[in-house]
Amino acid sequence: MIDTDLSLAALIGFGPDGWGWALMSGAVLTLAVALAAMAIGSVLGGVLAAMQASRRPWLVWIAATYGLVLRGVPELLVVLLLYFGTPELMAAVASLFGLPAPGSPPAFLTGSIAIGLVSAAYQAEVFRGGMLAVPHGQIEAAMAAGMGPATRLRRVILPQVLHHVLPPLGNIWQFNLKDSALVSITGLAELMRVSLVAAGSTRRPFVFFAAAMVLYLIMTSASSALFRLLERRGARWSKR
Amino acid sequence: MDFFATTALGLIAAIPVTLLLFVASAIGSSLIAGGLVAAQQSRITRPIAQAWIFVFRGTPLLLQIFMVYYGLAALGPIRHGWLWPAFREPLFCAWLAMTCCCSAYIAEVLRGALTAIPKGQIEAALACGMGRWTRLRRVIMPQMLRLALPSYGNELVMMIKSTSLASSITVLDVTGVASQVIAHSYRTLEVFCLAAAVYLCMTAALTALLRRIERSLAPAGSRRA
Amino acid sequence: MIRVLAIAAVLALAGCHASEPVEDRELIIGTEGLYPPWNFTRADGQLAGYEPDYLRVLCGRIHRRCRMVAMDWDGMVGALQTGKIDLIADAVQVTAERANVLWFTRPYAVTTGVIATPRDGPMAHMSDTGALMDFDHKGPALDAALARLRAGLAGKVIGVQMSGTFDNFLNQSIGATGPSGVSIRYYRTMGERDLDLLNGRIDATIEDESYLRPLVQTRDGAALVLTGPRMVGGSMGRGEALAFRPGDRALHDAFDGAIATTLADGTTRRLGLKWFRMDPTPQKSTAQSR
Repeated sequence: MIDTDLSLAALIGFGPDGWGWALMSGAVLTLAVALAAMAIGSVLGGVLAAMQASRRPWLVWIAATYGLVLRGVPELLVVLLLYFGTPELMAAVASLFGLPAPGSPPAFLTGSIAIGLVSAAYQAEVFRGGMLAVPHGQIEAAMAAGMGPATRLRRVILPQVLHHVLPPLGNIWQFNLKDSALVSITGLAELMRVSLVAAGSTRRPFVFFAAAMVLYLIMTSASSALFRLLERRGARWSKR
Repeated sequence: MDFFATTALGLIAAIPVTLLLFVASAIGSSLIAGGLVAAQQSRITRPIAQAWIFVFRGTPLLLQIFMVYYGLAALGPIRHGWLWPAFREPLFCAWLAMTCCCSAYIAEVLRGALTAIPKGQIEAALACGMGRWTRLRRVIMPQMLRLALPSYGNELVMMIKSTSLASSITVLDVTGVASQVIAHSYRTLEVFCLAAAVYLCMTAALTALLRRIERSLAPAGSRRA
Repeated sequence: MIRVLAIAAVLALAGCHASEPVEDRELIIGTEGLYPPWNFTRADGQLAGYEPDYLRVLCGRIHRRCRMVAMDWDGMVGALQTGKIDLIADAVQVTAERANVLWFTRPYAVTTGVIATPRDGPMAHMSDTGALMDFDHKGPALDAALARLRAGLAGKVIGVQMSGTFDNFLNQSIGATGPSGVSIRYYRTMGERDLDLLNGRIDATIEDESYLRPLVQTRDGAALVLTGPRMVGGSMGRGEALAFRPGDRALHDAFDGAIATTLADGTTRRLGLKWFRMDPTPQKSTAQSR
């Protein structure tokens, strides 16, 4: 129960009673969650895209249904489901083997997996579009020119796919960054959670939510600048 | 079975709250988005519009909701102002935050559609001697709306899903009721699957509706692949 | 001969090792760090509050090294059962339900649930203010008091922490149904609930007096007043105790004994006044034989 007579600077500063370090480490955790979710989403999204391009109808159906469900359900529900439901699931599985309930997995894991699962649904769509980006004639020509699969990938396929795929992936990254705020529900001390706890315990909500907004703005604008740079570099070969 | 039925009924009873929030936010954010696009045409007001879009697209909606609900209530002019009866209600705060947030995204959608209108048509309209408002009414607006429709539809689907964030400020929408039932019964899986099913029905219905509108608005004779 | 001596020496050394200080092992105490003033996390990340202070005293008395770690409540019981932590010190109230899974010591504190409301609000002068209301002493007196409590809460908006003790209490004992029922708002954290109590969105809250008494003494909390009866027993449990794994006799009894000494020598009272502005020592009037 803190009686907060501290000035604005002291509250968000880096002194003994200031929440500056807590906010900073919250921002770092936010980035970590977003990165983990992006990685999980990329791998799973690639698999889903491949499944949808396969010739086995049941694989296509599974991937399509996954996309439909994960894009039609609020991300908050997915986070809540994984956070509350995983301990229940693990307890049920453990009881099958006669073991005691193992408690809940770390919030970072359930949070990033939840965001990653949703991200995968959107990334799959992006990769599907990317796979169509290279005209098949070019691949045939590359094969005729004697390029091995690795060279083909490096010289012909990847540059064109990346160019196609980078802008929407940049968008998805921004969404991951912002959706990481939902992981605050799990109690993980990322930026949203830290600002909420600080706001509640010091009873100065405006200060801390404003500080959090500034930090998010820094992260999102730095991200879009980075992606613009990558896009420009990747577009050097194209005549657009 | 009894638990299932009671929960399902409780969730369905909360659908009107979700829909009300969705429709009100859709209307509010679309109006503001129109204003933002208009503001972007003039050199004086463009920075304001850009700033608005920057802030509301660059921060999470959840944080914006907390800011409107708790942050603004800590400010004297709001707490003791004549708007307090409105700000006192969680649903109003959720609506306000969602309206401001989604308006930024819709404004970007509209701007993209605006730049996608073939320049030739605007030049032809000018050559015909159309005045500014006639040009707007006859050439620009119809095409802008038609071009924007797919992305605008996407934003609407995202909006329906975003209403679930209102549950974090005590609003008893579908997610709010679901959270409450879980907290008291610990039967997570069943409750969340029911809630997910409810949202899936809503988004599927919305998507189907949007597709029908898209088809009916396609120019006569043109077939989309 | 030398071989026998060598084997004997090795066995003797091994024996020494076996009886080597298991008592030297550091004890891990689980807590949340989110429930001031019992336990909270300072801005610099350190745990502080009544329980860090109190456990330091207890561990000193049983001559063991201890370390407190913060974790969320939902994972704590599992961590205790799997041995990740040795005990839980998180202002856990002793309820019959929990006693099935946890082995409690005697209560090291007994605090009651009270109602806090704005000083100039409609609930500032409830009946039975300050009177003890024991839900374990069933009878006509309790029924009458409960009826008065229900009347005082009827039609009001009460905010509580979701799935906390007082959430259960409100739903089970008071009831949220009907037009004269209570309108309940659920908050994920206490801080959010406090904010809405102070800005007037909710009419009142029911919470432990150890949390509310310090709150009403802060500058922001001066606008609040404690009202209504002091409630104990029933679904609110009876006192806070340390929780151990069922069967962990050595640790349980050691701490239980240490708690008894602190109750007797005034340590509990001293720390209570420091953190709660009240004396949480279990009194004869609120005590009940287990």
